[in-house]
Parts: sequence; structure tokens; C-alpha cells
Amino acid sequence: MNLFQIIREIEKVDPEIMDRLTHRRSALTALGDISKKMALAAAPIAIGSAFNKAMGQQTLSNVNDVLNYALLLEYLEEDFYAQALSATTLSANLSTGSAALGAIQTIKAHETAHVALLKSALGSAANPRPASFNFGTAFATYASFLTFAQAFEDTGVRAYKGQATKIKDAGNPNNVLTTALQIHSVEARHASHIRYMRRAAAAGSISQFGWITNAESNGAPAAVYGAGNPAATFPAEGNVVQGGLTLTSVGGNTYTAAEVSEAFDEGLDNTTVVAIARSAATF
Amino acid sequence: MSDNKLFGTDEAEFAKPLFVPIKRRSFFMYAGATAGATALLLAGCDDDDDDNTTTTGTVSLGSGDVGVLNYAYALEQLEAAFYAQIVATPYTGITADEKTALTAISRHEAIHRDFFKAAITAAAPTQIIGGLTPDFSKVNFSDRSSVLNTAKTFEDLGVAAYNGAGSLIKTNDYLLIAGKIVSVEARHAAYIRDLLSNGTFADSTVVDNNGLDKAMSVADVLAAAQPFIKDKINGDNVGK
Repeated sequence: MNLFQIIREIEKVDPEIMDRLTHRRSALTALGDISKKMALAAAPIAIGSAFNKAMGQQTLSNVNDVLNYALLLEYLEEDFYAQALSATTLSANLSTGSAALGAIQTIKAHETAHVALLKSALGSAANPRPASFNFGTAFATYASFLTFAQAFEDTGVRAYKGQATKIKDAGNPNNVLTTALQIHSVEARHASHIRYMRRAAAAGSISQFGWITNAESNGAPAAVYGAGNPAATFPAEGNVVQGGLTLTSVGGNTYTAAEVSEAFDEGLDNTTVVAIARSAATF
Repeated sequence: MSDNKLFGTDEAEFAKPLFVPIKRRSFFMYAGATAGATALLLAGCDDDDDDNTTTTGTVSLGSGDVGVLNYAYALEQLEAAFYAQIVATPYTGITADEKTALTAISRHEAIHRDFFKAAITAAAPTQIIGGLTPDFSKVNFSDRSSVLNTAKTFEDLGVAAYNGAGSLIKTNDYLLIAGKIVSVEARHAAYIRDLLSNGTFADSTVVDNNGLDKAMSVADVLAAAQPFIKDKINGDNVGK
């Protein structure tokens, strides 16, 4: 993964990125620090948090912007699974008649349906599909594929969640909020299953379940589980405070921080989400 | 098809504001009450227009956002009690992995329950519903299939309930929190479904051709939940 390539890509959509960053070296230094602690395949995504600090918060100004943002993520997910299903490196694991193939086909079909639904909702305002998505080495191994899939699904859940109040504040035209929530929970079902597939494939070396414990990434990019912007609205997945209540001790009961973090998923702002997406795929 | 799904919401919903008399809360909204006044408002919005006084033996969830919060609190009470029973009397043949996961889910649901109790108590202390009495007489807790199929019902119902209630919520903070919980319920639902039959995490019985999960009305959810609750629940004014 070429980091300068990523920066150039972001500059295409945000020419002022370099002005927002104090200077380029600081971004790369931040990346270097993080990447030492992470699996190699996950390193590129850490850059998302480096940019995140320099950029503003929610930048979507109306419901069509929100829907086009969702459409971009669905384009990405659909293409990701389509490429996986045709990758020769994965054919042994996604073999005919296998549970794994069935699951990925089910998920792919949902992403395709989401693309169609969002496009029809947007009509002529729908943004075109990017010419291509390059996921780098994502399909090199089954383990890598599932790790990327987990990252995309967990990010997708956070992305939709992060737009709920935006849609509401825009007056919830045509009850788009309910539709978005209906997509949101399907992405969470996908995430749960993919996480369990990883657990099974790793035969015990990954202890995760379908839910997110603390901000544990288990080899997926750390930024997927980190804080967004503003962090007060979009805290990291390890958050234990909801509605001003610290839930490790509530109603006369005590719970571990891990349990509380699992019980609530957190949202993410669009800027952070797109930065994560662009660091995992070139498009 | 898809067009209709997204844009073809029932006209009744749109027309509703034209027919519903302006209630006290609505008046305050039109009068420009800010979010800061909401708590005061919820506290002040009492029996007169909330239908809290109902037939003996019936629990009214109340109206507006408090109604939605009580609605969620009722469902979370049900789920928490159910999983607590599973943990207390595990079904025959439960694996270590299943026990770990079901124990985790029981903690999540208990946290949700305790969160709503504390949040409603803080926002509208006079309007919180009491503890409900579950009725699990139809569940055989020693039988894996009986337990997991009931769990599937509860989790799918929870997802559909939150999805349907989102648009009823008036306060942004509550909407965001509902979103934080519903995806966890969906993660539970997928896991339970996979335990029953691997690969059914999002099958066509819950996800339609548009790739959409279910969203159910308060009335439909309560009708499905009522057989598991001894108290009679009235949710007629939830979100109104």
C-alpha cells in the first residue's frame, strides 16, 4: 500500500487536506507510531485517524448527501464481496455448497439490494459508481478477506448510526430514517456473522463473538473501533458512558467495562468513515 | 418496488399532524421550547394528556419520548429476565462456547434494562413504568430448541421494534442511543439464528428483497410480546 498514493487520492476529493494537516510529516509520523502496533495488513487504515484529527466533523448538508454517502459505502461493500466471490485465492474456502459461500452470497445480495434501493431513492441525484475499487492484498488469504470484511461491516454499522440524527434533523423526508435503520441492522447482522466466521476459521485464537468488546480490533484496523469527530458524539467502541450515565455501576448492579462496551455500538462521522474506506481501498 | 419501499410511506403518517389536536408538548415545540426544556416538559407532561390512568392491571407506557423509552424498557426487562433464566438453568447439552455467549448476552440485556431505568428515572421520574412480570410458562428451559427459538423471537422482535420506533423519537440523544442498542440486538439475533441453523443470520424470514430488516409498529410488537408478559401493556400513545 502506497501511503503517498492515499494522500494524493484524498487530495483529489479534498484539495485542502494538506492545509488541514499541520504538515504532511506529522501525519506520517502518527501513522508510523500506530502501524508498529498493528498487523501489517491493517496498517494503511490507521492513516484514517491521522487525517481525522485534521478534518472537520459531519460535512453532509442534506438527505441526498447522506444517501449518496451511504451509496458509496454500499458500492464499496458490493464490489468487495463480488471480487471475493471470484477470487481464485478464496475458492477453496468459498467452495460450492459450503456454509461460507452461502453466507458471503447472502451478504453480497443484500449489498446489491442496498445499492439498488439507494439509487432508486436518489434518482438522477445518485452519484455514479467509482470506476473501480482496488482492495490491495485483501483477497490474498481467507483470513485476510474475513478481516477486511469485518472492518467494512463494523464500519458500515457505525456509518449508518452516525447519520440517524442528521436525517431526523433534515425532517426525515419520506421516512428515510426508518429505511436507513432497516439497512443498519442488516449490516449489524452481517458483522456478527463475519465476526463468528473469523472466530471459527481461527479455531480459538480469536476469542471475539459477534459483538464488539472494548475497542478490540483483533487484527482489523484499529481506526474502525476508534473515536470519530467530535469524539464526544462519536466515542470509541470502548465507551462506557451513555446518556451521562456511567454504566459500570447502575441500578444497584455492577458490570465490567467490557460488558458495557459490548452492550452499545457507537456511531461514526462521515469524514472518519470515508477516510477509513479510502485507506482500505483505492477508488 | 424499491422506490415504493423508500418513498411510499403511508400518507396517513404525513397527514397525521393535520388531524391530531395540538397537545401540550406540541404547543411547546411550536412555541420554540429548546432541548434544554425537554426534561422539564417531559416531567410536566402528565396524566391529563398521557393516559397514564388506565384500567387496573394495565401498564401504560405513556406518550412522547418517555413512552418510547418505557417501551424499550419493557422489552429490555423481558429480554433480561429471559436470559437470566437461561444462565440460571442452562439447557441440556449447552456447550462452553454457547454458555459464554449467552451469559454475555444476558449481561448486555441487563445493562440495557438498568440503563433505561436510570435514564427514565432521571428524565421523567413520575412516568417510569414499574417492573414487569414475565410469563415464560411456554418455554422449556431445559430444551435447547425451545430456548433458542424463543431467543430468536425476542431478538428479531427487538430489532424490528427499535427500527420501527426510531422515527417516533423526538430527542436526538435518545435516537442515537436507540441506534447504539439496536445494532447490538441485531448482532445477538444473528448469533442466535446461526446457533439454530448456521447461515440464517439474515435469511429471507427477516430481510426482504430490498435488503431491509423488519420495522414494526408499537402495536404489532406489543401484540407479539404480550404472551410473554403477565401485565397488560398499553402502548397506544407511545411517540405521540
